[in-house]
Amino acid sequence: MVLRWLTVLAVFTLLAACGDSTPPPDSEATPAASTELSATATAPPAERLEVKPFTVGMTYHTLENGLKVILSHDDTAPVVTVAVYYNIGFRIEPRDRTGFAHLFEHMMFQGSENLGKMEFVNLVSSNGGILNGSTRFDYTNYFEIVPSHKLETMLWAEADRMRGLSITDDNLINQQGVVKNEVKVNVLNQPYGGFPWLYLPQYANENWYNSHNFYGDLEDLDAASLNDVALFFTQYYAPNNAALAIVGDFDSDEALAMVKKHFSKIPPSPEPIVLPDITEPRQEAEKIESYTDPLATRPGFAFAYHAPERLTPEWYAMGLIDQILLQGDDSLLHQALVKEAGMTDGVEGGINALLGNMFNYKGPMLWTASFIHDSGISRDDVLTVIDGVFDGLKNQPVDQAILDRALVKWRSAYYDEINSYFGFGRADLLASLALFDDNPEQINEFEKGMLAVTPEMIQQTAQEYLRPTNRTTLVLEAGAAEKEQDNG
Amino acid sequence: MANAMTIVRAGVFAAAMVLGLNVVAQETVKQTPPEGGTPKDFTLPAKQQYQLENGLKVTLVPYGAIPKVTVSARVMVGNLNEYADTWLADLTADLMEEGTASRSAEDVAREAADMGGSLSIGVGPDQTSVTGESLAEFAPEMVALMADVMLNPSLPADELDRLRRDALRNVDVALNDPDTMGQIAFSKALYGDHPYGRLFPTEEQLNSYTADQIREFYENNFGAQRTHVFVVGVFDGDAVRAAIEQAFGDWKAGPEILTMPPEPAQGRQYVDMIDRANASQSNVFLGLPTIDPSQPDYIGLQVTNTMLGGSFSSRITSNIREDKGYTYSPRSSVSVRRLDGRWIQQAAITTDDTAAALKEIYFEINRLRDEAPPEAELKAIQNYMAGLFTLRNSTRGGIINMLNRVDLHGLDDSYLTEYVSRVYALTPGEISRIATRYIRPDDMTLVVVGDRARIGEAMANYLDPPP
Repeated sequence: MVLRWLTVLAVFTLLAACGDSTPPPDSEATPAASTELSATATAPPAERLEVKPFTVGMTYHTLENGLKVILSHDDTAPVVTVAVYYNIGFRIEPRDRTGFAHLFEHMMFQGSENLGKMEFVNLVSSNGGILNGSTRFDYTNYFEIVPSHKLETMLWAEADRMRGLSITDDNLINQQGVVKNEVKVNVLNQPYGGFPWLYLPQYANENWYNSHNFYGDLEDLDAASLNDVALFFTQYYAPNNAALAIVGDFDSDEALAMVKKHFSKIPPSPEPIVLPDITEPRQEAEKIESYTDPLATRPGFAFAYHAPERLTPEWYAMGLIDQILLQGDDSLLHQALVKEAGMTDGVEGGINALLGNMFNYKGPMLWTASFIHDSGISRDDVLTVIDGVFDGLKNQPVDQAILDRALVKWRSAYYDEINSYFGFGRADLLASLALFDDNPEQINEFEKGMLAVTPEMIQQTAQEYLRPTNRTTLVLEAGAAEKEQDNG
Repeated sequence: MANAMTIVRAGVFAAAMVLGLNVVAQETVKQTPPEGGTPKDFTLPAKQQYQLENGLKVTLVPYGAIPKVTVSARVMVGNLNEYADTWLADLTADLMEEGTASRSAEDVAREAADMGGSLSIGVGPDQTSVTGESLAEFAPEMVALMADVMLNPSLPADELDRLRRDALRNVDVALNDPDTMGQIAFSKALYGDHPYGRLFPTEEQLNSYTADQIREFYENNFGAQRTHVFVVGVFDGDAVRAAIEQAFGDWKAGPEILTMPPEPAQGRQYVDMIDRANASQSNVFLGLPTIDPSQPDYIGLQVTNTMLGGSFSSRITSNIREDKGYTYSPRSSVSVRRLDGRWIQQAAITTDDTAAALKEIYFEINRLRDEAPPEAELKAIQNYMAGLFTLRNSTRGGIINMLNRVDLHGLDDSYLTEYVSRVYALTPGEISRIATRYIRPDDMTLVVVGDRARIGEAMANYLDPPP
């Protein structure tokens, strides 16, 4: 759902990487959990670099109008990320307006009181910054990454569009065209388009809010009117339904003063924002689904299991089960499906992996995986391999060494998540945790939860959540003939 | 006549505004955005560079506070070195991931995982990249593990059939992707039988490669002289230097870097429309060969490209997306290989709008050639590129990519240290001069992948050679 504007940036986001200040090799630091690890064939250096546990510093404020504000300083580079998150995900868009939350996201770039069409975008780029917006299950976000001295410029601009929009029919018609092109390029005109990220939630979930086509039926997109835009804005785009995260090289007191200056006079919504019931019933029967992709030449396989509720002990255990089963070439599913069965060259997935990560959502969520394989391999062939692997976790407590490895992998991946996209990853987590839990400090607590997971918890969680009756399998049938390879 | 609407959040009155479709373009005075504060200096992160006796280059850049490190070896062995054996380098890389003399593939994966990391090998036109990521404290061990994979691969013949099946599947999937279909045709038209013109192998080729051939390719191509090891992140410098010396110090120098620049077809090449029945969009590629980063006009060409179609604020994107709604993600780029460059505009356009969008693309190209852009527009693009430069040099992966770029194209440090000032030195007149010299519509090759039955006739004007 991300607007693909940052085409120039795409070439160097291959390694979503880090950003922070120069490391002090601090001698009083606590050693990281290195002693538990299996020895490598190389002798470790006589004195291993000692590394401090990494924590994210922040201050957290709530303005009188309800806007949640998180400031997190990081002076690695002279840049700042400004991220505004609204508590409106595509799950809860109007029933006869599928795809509307995302279409509305586009409208937020079409003009506000003091910034006409293209002026927001040009303001960011002419000040040396990049920007984007995206619509996800539980939020819609807007962010800019700019040279740090342009912080106030961006706060002013975000406040301007939080205050109101000023748009025309032509703007709406234009963006309906753009969004329909987005759906075509990503789904309708693309082999494997929407597999599995768009379709799997529709098959696996029961509640309409979780199981509708959130990219939108083209007819619904066409039917949207300026009235719908106004109503949606009034309902959801208010400071008391939003979080503002600022990450980067700035002075916290000055930044807070700027935030107050530009945002504190924006009125909250007159009535409390009521969200619909988005809960999913416990799944009691396996779902076996398939569809034909007329453009695909090889079949695809995907599974989804309903994941434990966020921040529960089982959810932490599931996070480590994901590391054990699915993340990295050492993972059990990679070893079984790729190396031993030779079904595919890679299997990908995770908790909320289709449109985010295991931290930045609120409602019911899926743990999923998918891959493309050759014809002649049946659903049962795949399930035999998968169930064999899962039985290993269900039948006895996992080895402590495997659990330790999972934890190290998780920690390392988490550091990269926090640092991804020039510090945007940190803003993403802080804004999500403020918006969903009113607790951005949680960003420093996840490791504690992971450390508390025991082999027994892994076993119990596997038994309950990796039940076949908690599973949806989705087979993509290849509807096109394989192409003659004559392009040499 | 368009409706206009102003939605203002006004407390308890907000509900009343919902239906207030004010047909107004209010002539109130707009606020001006606050300027912001004083710019902070950006300096490139300090680096240490040296060479081992066998010719292996090393660059170390301590960077960041997150306790992670990236170790990336860039070896000058790519598809270029295959000559006609397309993807032999890719299969070699695949087989190098299958273990070493002393470690199975699973051992390698587990050891990397125990360091909180991963190890992967990728192949591009000019280079094979072996990249390891780990927690900071394991940097020396990651160097050793990577070196083992690079120097002592077992290249097991019994894994080859599985890897070959994977490659055949990936090729098949790629050949049906409309974007890839266009890129294949475009590259072939410009580069012919040069490896840069052969993006994918035939099934016959893939089936023909043997483990012996792969071993020979490995032995003939990999070595210290072709390798540059980058270490960026948090790490113990002394320990990493020692680990590099120990792991790579005895590696054979190996062959010198292969220099085999392409001779791309000059002038327009005529490519028949590639038919995809019932396609809802046309994938369009329009471009021509151009200069590589070692040429003096290269940075100017980047600025010109950014203004023309290489950013969201660019002219082509503003026109065919934000004004006309013909497409979602149009983009132009200067794409480079060693001693080679190409400029290309791509877009996936709603089928019925294909001809109209092409007309606008040509219009914007010609406008930039014919008229010097306004100062303010150029200044905005210069600011944007200066900002991007900071971002590109502020992540581990970004720093490696920038330093590797300097190395790959035979540039010196001034490319990075003077980049921003050279961007700002360009004048509106130079932008038009550069557009005129390098972005020449008459010399551009056009590839269209789409529904011939629907737009074949309209496309004939654009695709067919003059009678």
